[in-house]
Amino acid sequence: MLLKLAWRNLWRNKLRTSIVLGAMVFGLVGVTLMIGFMNGMMDNMISNAINWQTSHLQVHQKDYSADPEIHKTISRSSQLQVQLDKMTQIKTWASRHLAQGMIASARSTRGITINGIDLQKEALITPLAQNIYDGFWLDDKGRNPILVSKKIAQRLKLRVGSKVVLTFTNKNGDVSGAAFRVRGLFKTPSSAFDEMNVFVRKADLKVLSGIEGDHEIALLVNDIKQLESVKRKIHVALAQSDSVQNWEELQPMLAAMSASMASSNIIILVIFVLAMGFGIVNILLMSVFERTCEFGVLMAVGMQKHKILQLILLESTFLGVVGATLGLLCSLAALSILKVTGISLSSLADGLSAMGLDTLLYPKVSGSDFALIFITVVLASSLAGLYPARQILKQEPAQAMSEKH
Amino acid sequence: MSIKLEQLCKTYNVDTDFPVHAVNHLDLEIKQGEFVAVMGPSGSGKTTLLNMLGGIDTPTSGKVLIDDNNILELHDKQLIAFRRDNIGFIFQDYSLLPVLTALENVEFVMQLQGHSEEECRKRATDLLIRVGLAEHLHKRPAKLSGGQQQRVAVARALAPSPKFVMADEPTANLDAKSTAELLDIMQQLNEQEGTTFIFSTHDPRVISRAKRVIVFEDGLKKEDTIQAESP
Ligand SMILES: Nc1ncnc2c1ncn2[C@@H]1O[C@H](COP(=O)(O)OP(=O)(O)OP(=O)(O)O)[C@@H](O)[C@H]1O
Ligand SMILES: [Mg+2]
Repeated sequence: MLLKLAWRNLWRNKLRTSIVLGAMVFGLVGVTLMIGFMNGMMDNMISNAINWQTSHLQVHQKDYSADPEIHKTISRSSQLQVQLDKMTQIKTWASRHLAQGMIASARSTRGITINGIDLQKEALITPLAQNIYDGFWLDDKGRNPILVSKKIAQRLKLRVGSKVVLTFTNKNGDVSGAAFRVRGLFKTPSSAFDEMNVFVRKADLKVLSGIEGDHEIALLVNDIKQLESVKRKIHVALAQSDSVQNWEELQPMLAAMSASMASSNIIILVIFVLAMGFGIVNILLMSVFERTCEFGVLMAVGMQKHKILQLILLESTFLGVVGATLGLLCSLAALSILKVTGISLSSLADGLSAMGLDTLLYPKVSGSDFALIFITVVLASSLAGLYPARQILKQEPAQAMSEKH
Repeated sequence: MSIKLEQLCKTYNVDTDFPVHAVNHLDLEIKQGEFVAVMGPSGSGKTTLLNMLGGIDTPTSGKVLIDDNNILELHDKQLIAFRRDNIGFIFQDYSLLPVLTALENVEFVMQLQGHSEEECRKRATDLLIRVGLAEHLHKRPAKLSGGQQQRVAVARALAPSPKFVMADEPTANLDAKSTAELLDIMQQLNEQEGTTFIFSTHDPRVISRAKRVIVFEDGLKKEDTIQAESP
């Protein structure tokens, strides 16, 4: 009977209840899309960073990242590569010969990292080979071909076929340089990466640096869950002076952002729930106080106060459950549409690429996010009933009944 | 069981220049089995008196004794349970729950007492049929006329088998026939089960049936007479 009473009371003022529900639905769709968008953005940033830059794991000499000098190569690189080939959990790997230097055209110069790459292996580990937007991917033909980014090409006024000069410090500490010819232009999702990197054939670079060996080995594993175990295996195989790092260690900023994502989602949720809570309290205050007289009757005919409290809380819980369910259903619908179409942000392309983001994002909301939202909303709205209930139960039945509305 | 009022006062607007003494130093005893009519002009304090007799209003001063126990000293919880089991109210404005049907309104108060659903359904249906609402069991109050609502209110008051029934102008909206029928039911209950009825009324039909008539004016008892049974 209590349930029946609460449910019917909820629908007494259909317009008012519908308005609150509408507000809850809109709010919830907003919140889930917001959370979904943030999650999608984070995912995209991480997957772009892994795909284009860090791979899952990288091997360097221990202090290479702190001070990338050309003589700091990985020890026993060739033995290590044989071992890597034997590890079944590793999908693919590629070794790179790196040099910090300058690129110069007739117009301008810039500081860059020169990536000496192994053509076949590099094509498997990053999507670079498939994303040459002008010209061609490097091959064995020609003398000193180079890939530069669209960004650098613009800055240095380069086109496919233009000549550039690369200079860097060789193994003897002398400045060494050579002319390269632009074979192709690339573009990755990250403009920061684009401004800092050019790609040449590993063999060409080795000739100029006079150093054997590699500075970096990047790896992809088959199953991301095995990342840590693969990392440990590689660590064992490494010489004392070398180290292996995962993408989180290579991109600590990104890892920190990803970790703080959960709490920022909760903050969004809390703000929404608070705002909604006040709205619900307001509605319940109205709907309870205009029925003061009725609650007086209930007390007069012998309904205990805790039962009346239950009745009011049931009403507010029903409101929460109905609102949260409708809201989440609408969110699911909106999300499933956006999952197909994506959210296109091409107008913000420059800003996005500064953060390493694609212009088409897909929102992502996990089941646990949904559960969390549902529980918080229902809890908040049931609690919202407490205050009006307390106010009502303070009164004498006759006093309550004499209040006319 | 008896209800006794000692020096009972109820004053509204105490702190203002025009306090209203709705009930003024009243001494009154009503014994179980009585059939009392309280009559008086509008505003004389009848509703206020009935509310205090039934324990839903707190007097400004004085005592309400049930078998020599002052109900004003009971805890909320005990007082509510006492009302639930012993007092039936027929309110002047009926005060039915608008979201429940006639039948549910009557069942509801019985369920509060912990009766089983079937028991409630059966007794509520019987009572509503007795007050002449067989056709209207499943209508909500808004779909019933004033007189029909009043009869639902009567059924609701009687359903929990209370010892005392506080009936605030229970026949105000009824025609002669319905009034007579209701009074028959109440009189029968009074005689067979010893249910005490306290009416507030202007209605001569009610007054003529009452065993005791109290005339009330400006919160004061003017007359208190025992009437001979009308033949
Ligand atoms: N809640 C209240 N606040 C202030 N004054 C009140 C209140 N309730 C009743 N009164 C006053 O107390 C007096 C008695 O009111 P009460 O309702 O008991 O009269 P009544 O005899 O039942 O009248 P009626 O026949 O119209 O129902 C009236 O003067 C009324 O104005
Ligand atoms: Mg009255």
